[in-house]
Amino acid sequence: MSASGLPGRVAPRAARRSTWSAAEVARQATLLLLGLLALFPMYFTLINSLKSPTQYARNLLDLPVPPHPENYASAWAQIQGPLVNSVVVTLVSVLATVLFAALAAYAFALMDFPGRHLLFALTFALLLVPEFLTLIPLYVQVRSLPVPDPLLALILPTVAIGQPFAILVMRAAFERVPRELLEAARIDGAGHAVLLARVVLPVTLPVLVSVAVIRLVPVWNEYLLPSLVLPPDRVTLPVALVTFQGSGASGAGAPNYGALMAAYVLSALPLVALFAFLMRYYVQGVTSGGVKG
Amino acid sequence: MTVPVSPRPPTDRSLRRLRRLRSGWPAYLFLLPALLLVAYFSYFPAYLAVTRAFTDWDGLNVGGFTGLENFRRAVTDPVMGEATRNMLVWVALGLVLALVPPLLVAELIFHLRGRRRQYAYRTLFVAPIVIPSLVLLLVWGTFYRSDGLINTLLSAVGLGGWRHDWLSDPGTALYSLIFLGFPYVDAFSLLLLYAGLQNIPQDVFEAARLDGATGWRRVARVDLPLLRPQLGLIALLSVIGNMQYFVSPLVLTSGGPGFATTVPALLMYTTATRSGEYGYAMAVAVLLMVAVALLTAASRLMSRRAS
Repeated sequence: MSASGLPGRVAPRAARRSTWSAAEVARQATLLLLGLLALFPMYFTLINSLKSPTQYARNLLDLPVPPHPENYASAWAQIQGPLVNSVVVTLVSVLATVLFAALAAYAFALMDFPGRHLLFALTFALLLVPEFLTLIPLYVQVRSLPVPDPLLALILPTVAIGQPFAILVMRAAFERVPRELLEAARIDGAGHAVLLARVVLPVTLPVLVSVAVIRLVPVWNEYLLPSLVLPPDRVTLPVALVTFQGSGASGAGAPNYGALMAAYVLSALPLVALFAFLMRYYVQGVTSGGVKG
Repeated sequence: MTVPVSPRPPTDRSLRRLRRLRSGWPAYLFLLPALLLVAYFSYFPAYLAVTRAFTDWDGLNVGGFTGLENFRRAVTDPVMGEATRNMLVWVALGLVLALVPPLLVAELIFHLRGRRRQYAYRTLFVAPIVIPSLVLLLVWGTFYRSDGLINTLLSAVGLGGWRHDWLSDPGTALYSLIFLGFPYVDAFSLLLLYAGLQNIPQDVFEAARLDGATGWRRVARVDLPLLRPQLGLIALLSVIGNMQYFVSPLVLTSGGPGFATTVPALLMYTTATRSGEYGYAMAVAVLLMVAVALLTAASRLMSRRAS
């Protein structure tokens, strides 16, 4: 927290230019420390996922010697179904969000029709409706919704909740598509559907991926709505983790924290895999469209 | 209703409107899925919430009209009062946590020499986004246990007297939930602020340097005023987010001990799902929404006046 971490007036010019001045070292040390602390929960779950209950009780921070990989087997048995459900819900929701939002954004950005401004205002206004307001009525409504699969009762509202943000970002991107490109395709006889699929979507693909990745994180993490609308045998990961933790911690014997931590590690793996490839789309999405002043 | 077709250009306004509507059909087709979804899953529930707040709705039957009774009960209920105080503490401390750590880290990264190094550290601070938020909650829940990490560390450094059952002690439960998640560097806020710093023209920094404003003085005189839009957005999102947040009290403390960690949004959730008083829950939700809307409007006004 001290001011010495920044380049001061006293520092001579040469030292300030150098890449390893004292201030630079202090800055890097602070950042490294904070960054590692932010990642500490990952380290904690990882090492403790390999410990037996006695090892866990003895020391929370040392390495698991010998390791107990069988924790992963019991964790997997507990969360296998929910993990699959989460993957299905997240993938279908995000893909449907992007697809429907692309259609709507195309209409708002590149077509002229009566009621365009009104309908767009109605979509945009939804960004101002807080989610807690609709949570309970949504639950009541979805409870009586006749759907062929319970997961659909979660997917449909999730897609709806994602629409305003996705439409807003994609409309802005579609409006920036060069008109000459659209005109050329139109002269070749392309209709709106072909224009969207062959010209607009390929040109704006990075934005589509950004929207998908940004939306994917809250959908994967969503707890409240799934905990209300899904039947106990078809829950998603966050719901299963809370149940698993409850049963482990309140059990008569020593709770098996190792298996619990193993379940946490498993539930993070899909996001780790995804962000290993797509993090730059997340960063681009947030930094380019985040604030309009 | 049939429309007479005339060879002349239409002069009748309703006729022209009809033609335009008909020529717009591909657009309506494109909009149909999105509009159907938001109408049924966003607008309709919002309508239900607002209208049912004036009834004794039980989640099944529409319920009778009770006027302002639910609202009267909400503003006079002592539990609601305690919940509101908890929320205000949460919003105030949460605002500091939402602004200061990301700003500090953004400044530190921005001052690093070399784009490569900046990029590496930015990546380091975005990486924790792969930790699912529920996992972070539950892991911190174990940190706070009587045999958890925090007490173990306190004993290790000779502060065993400070050991606590952090989430069961009414004096510490609320603060434990608020301060969960050290070091509070939200990836979204960090990226926003860092991008904001990058957008400041180089000659502004140059001019500040010539005026002798360096280090923290430059941060205060140049960076903070120029980051105003970003900081304003983060502040607004933090306040709105914390007013409606109730996952950690729901999962870790059930609002207890007593009502020490109960917030209005949690009350809304529990009165509906556990006591079945949906009408009353909706009144609480509507009150919260009005507060959120007023705050949003006020911040819009403030930012308009500033610019």
